[in-house]
Amino acid sequence: MDTVLNVLVVGILLGGIYGLVSIGLNLIFGVIRIVNFAQGELVMLGMYGAYLAYTMLGLDPYVSVLVVVPALFVIGLVMQRLVIQPLQNEPSMQIFATFALLILLQNVVLALTRGQGYSVPTQVAGMGLELGEIRIPATRLVIFLAVTTIAVLLHLFLMHTLAGKSIRAVTQDRQAARLMGINVERTFTVTFGIGAALAGLAGVLLAPIYTLSPGIGGNFILAAFAVVVLGGLGSVAGAYFGGLIVGLVEAFAGFYIDPELKQAIWFLIFLAVLVVRPTGLFGQVGAEEVGFREQG
Amino acid sequence: MRTPLRLYALGLAAAMVPFVLLSHDLFWLNILIYMYLFAGLAVAWNIIAGFGGQFSLGHGVFFAVGAYMTARLYLNWGITPWLGLIPGALVCAVLGALIFLPTFRLKGSFFAIATLAFNEVGFVFANYLESVTGGPRGLQVPFRAAWSNMIFADPRGYALLMFAFMAVCVAISIALMRSRLGYYLLAVREDEDAARAAGIDVTGVKLRGTALSAALTAIGGGLFAMYVRTIDPPTLFSLPDIGVKFALLALIGGMGTITGPVLGAFLIVPVESYLRAVLGGEWPGTHLIVLGFVMLLAALFMRHGVAGALDSLWRRWRRRT
Repeated sequence: MDTVLNVLVVGILLGGIYGLVSIGLNLIFGVIRIVNFAQGELVMLGMYGAYLAYTMLGLDPYVSVLVVVPALFVIGLVMQRLVIQPLQNEPSMQIFATFALLILLQNVVLALTRGQGYSVPTQVAGMGLELGEIRIPATRLVIFLAVTTIAVLLHLFLMHTLAGKSIRAVTQDRQAARLMGINVERTFTVTFGIGAALAGLAGVLLAPIYTLSPGIGGNFILAAFAVVVLGGLGSVAGAYFGGLIVGLVEAFAGFYIDPELKQAIWFLIFLAVLVVRPTGLFGQVGAEEVGFREQG
Repeated sequence: MRTPLRLYALGLAAAMVPFVLLSHDLFWLNILIYMYLFAGLAVAWNIIAGFGGQFSLGHGVFFAVGAYMTARLYLNWGITPWLGLIPGALVCAVLGALIFLPTFRLKGSFFAIATLAFNEVGFVFANYLESVTGGPRGLQVPFRAAWSNMIFADPRGYALLMFAFMAVCVAISIALMRSRLGYYLLAVREDEDAARAAGIDVTGVKLRGTALSAALTAIGGGLFAMYVRTIDPPTLFSLPDIGVKFALLALIGGMGTITGPVLGAFLIVPVESYLRAVLGGEWPGTHLIVLGFVMLLAALFMRHGVAGALDSLWRRWRRRT
């Protein structure tokens, strides 16, 4: 019984990590409908931001959130204005451009750090919760609490504020939204900024857990895409529960089937969901039918 | 308006020029071999993605299956790669149809992500199935130079081989664009519902396009295996070097045209390899910074690739004279 419980806890905590890196991606994917390959690199930038804040300002990563997240928001705005917006009607070129950004960001960091791995210490590192046999490290617990809070806040923001409502309107029908007087381009820019800021937050919170390397974004991006499709396009609840499902599947498959196959198993589940219910578990029916051409 | 066949012949002859000029230099010869190979692969990808509008990011799977099959057949049963390429191509034609069939109802970005997932599943299984793929250590093909082994003591043999592969892919694309299937693919790309209303079997057309594209990609994978002679999962399933590379080359050259993917490979592969050799040792990653930057500029300022840019220049020049 204890082992099952242990695997369950490991899975939920892992799910928190996947949820956290997916929420920003899901917002961008859901609203702007582009495959942002560079999202993992934004997480990576958030991690290095936490490292810089620690070495230069002596800030604990949990404090540096206040600096890094706004910085990533600005980076997101710039990326959207300079690269994504001009390619609005060229979806395959957008994929191509975000892939170029991925290569660019990864290798700029590689050249600057010369490939040396860094780690970011925090006051919280040694702490944890003990529940009988099961130990929950504080760093991972913080992530789980953070993703839960963000999911709730983002949901409230989208449901009850004017900016949130305009984002939802653009998601549903950008032509109609434009006719209602919503500035679609500005909504895109703000959405991309928020998505990048959320990636930055994920990066800062993940920094104490991982050894920083320029290619680390690749560890998250495919999982994040799986979470997005599994949960549902543009749905906050989808990213949250999708993350948990992927985390649990990975933990249980890794423990009971074969650790080497755990990724293949959740990818196969991902493909199965994509085929059976392309809208995802929480997505709006019909969203996946909007292909490249109908975006206009 | 159809491009006359003799223009294509002229183009292929021009594609031989770098070989004639540079093949005495081993450094450049290696680059040329990759250039011709990836030109062929980009043309193969373009069949389903450019003409058919199905933006696949899963072609790395076909490349890898072709590479593993050719190498395995040669290593275990001594089957000459000249014949060993064929089962790989056939298997991938079927495999491509099978794995793409459930994803064809997805459109745009969803299709791209789903096919990207195939690449990851392939990577995990290639590591896992050690008895077939050699697992993480990969497969090594011993160097026994002979025509029948497709292993050449003189690397110029490889360059000619890859050139021939590229020429075959281009020829198939030209034939395709003059065939019924080619017109169907274009119709499906432009408007699926209209194509269906006009009586086209949309899924069947996509499947045939995929099978052809996957089979050619598998042949490219087999040729790659016989040239590098060491294949392992990180190489074969690499996104920037294999799976997404086909798409990048075709996009930068001009998707949906016959010459575009070739132009893309002829521009990017030499620039990338040269920068890697010159800058890669001193500053790791700098060649990719330059490449990423070039790609970004290309995306922003040449929406229809090099082929599109040349085409509009040519039109402007024609109007003036």
